[in-house]
Amino acid sequence: MELRMWQIEPTTGWEKDQKHYAKKRPNELAAVMRNLQRYVVLLNVSKNSKAAQAGYLHPEQNGVIAVDQKGGGGNLQETRLYTYADDDKKVIYLIAIGDKDAQHSDVEYCKQFVISLRDKTET
Amino acid sequence: MSTELERQAAKPTGRKYGSVADLMRGEGVSQEVQERVKELENETRVALQLAKLRQAAGITQEEMAKNLGVTQSAVSKLEGGIDADITLGEIKGYARAMEQRIGVMFGKPLNHVESVKCHALAIRHHLEGLAKIADRDEEMQTHIQAFFGEAFFNILTILAECGEKLPGNGRDFEIRIEMVKQEPSRGAATKPKGPPAPAVAA
Repeated sequence: MELRMWQIEPTTGWEKDQKHYAKKRPNELAAVMRNLQRYVVLLNVSKNSKAAQAGYLHPEQNGVIAVDQKGGGGNLQETRLYTYADDDKKVIYLIAIGDKDAQHSDVEYCKQFVISLRDKTET
Repeated sequence: MSTELERQAAKPTGRKYGSVADLMRGEGVSQEVQERVKELENETRVALQLAKLRQAAGITQEEMAKNLGVTQSAVSKLEGGIDADITLGEIKGYARAMEQRIGVMFGKPLNHVESVKCHALAIRHHLEGLAKIADRDEEMQTHIQAFFGEAFFNILTILAECGEKLPGNGRDFEIRIEMVKQEPSRGAATKPKGPPAPAVAA
């Protein structure tokens, strides 16, 4: 197993969303950040990002993984932290945070991020 | 967060962090959120360790569920849940399924000195146990004698290396190991592994 550990890189999208959530929904933000911690622990012992498996992880299109708020306590609004794990660079990008209502457009937004990231890597 | 009509495309910031705690500090995430994450961390340590052990063993949740005789969603719930909901039976089940030993400790963590003493007592206990069984047969005696030599060398090496990290590079702290070549009493394999001459001095 490779010893290089995964690193986390925020994006401008996450920066904006986390500020909003810190003010309006701090418990939901804490819950998804705790599950991100758990996800990173699993990534560090997994062969690759696809092998990491947990109930709070939801694969979306284009390799986007949504981390939910489960385990963060009762009465939390459904919240998702959208990430993308780049296996070559061993970097997990934090793309956005959103609620259930915005899920469709959030996934679309994250897809665009991944496409542009892959384009940059190829060129 | 996508109800805005004009949402700027996300771009990598170029700032990388080795852990979520570092990320939250570095990105100025509110203190309230950081503290809540710590609370959640304390409530879910065992659950995460079980998930980590399973993942590191390359066992899927489905396979673990089969081993435990439960459903995959039960495994997912256990690993994603809080420690207070996990039973000792479930921990035992994980240990059995992975053929691993899992220790669980509750209460105040040991400090470094207490921890060293605790490990030293355990090493003594196990070495005494080995010494007791060494006379079962000649081959076992040879192996145990060799192991004692190896353990002796390794323990002193650890002490010497850690001593070097003391302030002043351990100038007032010296450990010298001298391996004295002995004529083997029975068989040739009693010589411990490691350099034959004076080996480590700190």
